[in-house]
Amino acid sequence: MKNRFFLAIATVAAVALMASCAKVPQEALDAASAALDSAKTVQTDVYFPAEFAALNDSLTVMLQNIETQKSKSAKDFKAIKANAEAITLKAGELTAGVEAKKAEVKAEAETMMAGATALLDEAKALILKAPKGKEGKAVIEEITNELTVIETSLTDAKTLFDGGTNYVEVVDKVKAATGGLNGIIAELKEAMAKAGVKI
Amino acid sequence: MKRGSLISLFIYAVIAGIIIFLLVLLFRAMVPEPPQSEVEMARAAIAKARDRQSEVYSPRLFREAQNNYDSAMTAWRAENERFILFRDYERVISFAATAREKADEATRNTIKRSTSLKANLESEIKRLKADMASFEKIFLSMPLPQDVKKKHAKGKQLLREAEVDLQKENYVNGNIKLTEANEYISGTYNLARTNLEEYFRHYSDWQEWATSTINESRKSGSYAIVVEKIPAVCHLYHGGKKKYTFDAEFGSNWLGDKMSRGDMATPEGKYMVTKKLSGGSTKYYKALMISYPNKIDIQEFNERTRNGKLPADARIGDMIEIHGDGGKGANWTQGCVALRNADMDVIYKYAAKGTPVTIIGSTLTLDEFFASRSK
Repeated sequence: MKNRFFLAIATVAAVALMASCAKVPQEALDAASAALDSAKTVQTDVYFPAEFAALNDSLTVMLQNIETQKSKSAKDFKAIKANAEAITLKAGELTAGVEAKKAEVKAEAETMMAGATALLDEAKALILKAPKGKEGKAVIEEITNELTVIETSLTDAKTLFDGGTNYVEVVDKVKAATGGLNGIIAELKEAMAKAGVKI
Repeated sequence: MKRGSLISLFIYAVIAGIIIFLLVLLFRAMVPEPPQSEVEMARAAIAKARDRQSEVYSPRLFREAQNNYDSAMTAWRAENERFILFRDYERVISFAATAREKADEATRNTIKRSTSLKANLESEIKRLKADMASFEKIFLSMPLPQDVKKKHAKGKQLLREAEVDLQKENYVNGNIKLTEANEYISGTYNLARTNLEEYFRHYSDWQEWATSTINESRKSGSYAIVVEKIPAVCHLYHGGKKKYTFDAEFGSNWLGDKMSRGDMATPEGKYMVTKKLSGGSTKYYKALMISYPNKIDIQEFNERTRNGKLPADARIGDMIEIHGDGGKGANWTQGCVALRNADMDVIYKYAAKGTPVTIIGSTLTLDEFFASRSK
């Protein structure tokens, strides 16, 4: 009778022990971590900063949940495994999407650079026709200096563009140059209109 | 199996179940509570700080928060390695609390700092734009070194880049560019202003020369010419009254007195017309030769040569004229005063040999000049 009693206790204890010995889904976890690393390598953090930060945060939450489960007497890693797989999937999607986004920003940078180059040529052509009234040469000299600086800035943008490291930075640089060129062209056109010079 | 045995087995099983249940309850009661909520609050605080860009605006605090969070997780992992009943999460909770505190502080600091950086960016952009506009209004036509003008243009471009950063809420980058822009813009502005202030030290001489010339014209009822280099004009007086004002152009290095031959500066002082030239006798349409150098010019030149301010082989200039072919929109002469041909016709008609010609920097004081340019 005593044996039966201990057998029953042992059975229930074994079941309880088995329930508390669930394993951490290490493989899924490693895969999620690796997927995030790959995503960072292709500059997901540059082209999808919000999404990348959210994903990173999900990984942090997941690591926290693992410890929470490990702290419990009855562990359950099913949800964590599903979570890790979702992170891996999302990181993969972002990684795949980076190339398209990069191409999009690259195309935008290319268009903006072409636009800025056309504006630079327009400004240079306008300078030749600009009226040379009182202080005219000084103004033209000032504008020429500005154009030289803007041209250098565009050359820097082109170098960045050719390097292909960060097209977002290229767009910002060209945006500033374009603003300057538009201002110069407007100034020249206004001066020419006042002086009655045909554009 | 007998019925009695089955009943007793059932009773044993129930008792065993109850005992195990009680043991499990006891065990559970003895298992320490995981620091889930504390760690989660720390993580959420860090995420909030990150969203506010604390990594950029409060890097030290953010790093401290992150390090404490990492320490909390490491301590948690270490505790979880121990036998369940021997775990102690006090250190985890302490690290998590510090992490949360630092992250909250980083967020508060970030809000404060980004607001102040934004305000600084906006006000400095405004100030530098005003400085830039002043520079362009006041100093653009002055013979500043090309390097100074190039620096000004560089500053202008950096200012535009700072504006793009302001639009994109990149206040740190914007302020970095602004600092650089400030060096170029304010640097060139201050240099140009200092040059001008130095030049205006001769203002009392100019005032005296111009007044005496106009008074002479009034007394004698004759013509007199007063040339002002800063506003770039040439006045023709008759009987002490201003009759005409013409735009004038000077030597490319016009800011300051003429020191020696070839310095491209236009002299300053009291002179008179010595010769009227027209037709084939001048290459500049018409010209009025003036009595440069006068006694003071010769005296100053000799003194400068003696003091070593001029090289020993320097020679004093001559052949200074008021001539035609002006209206080029630049200071292009080698030291003469150039007028448009139509204006030259007028001045040539009224000026005669002996007509006083006074060349000064300005009749306006420096403050009056700045005020006139900022209108």
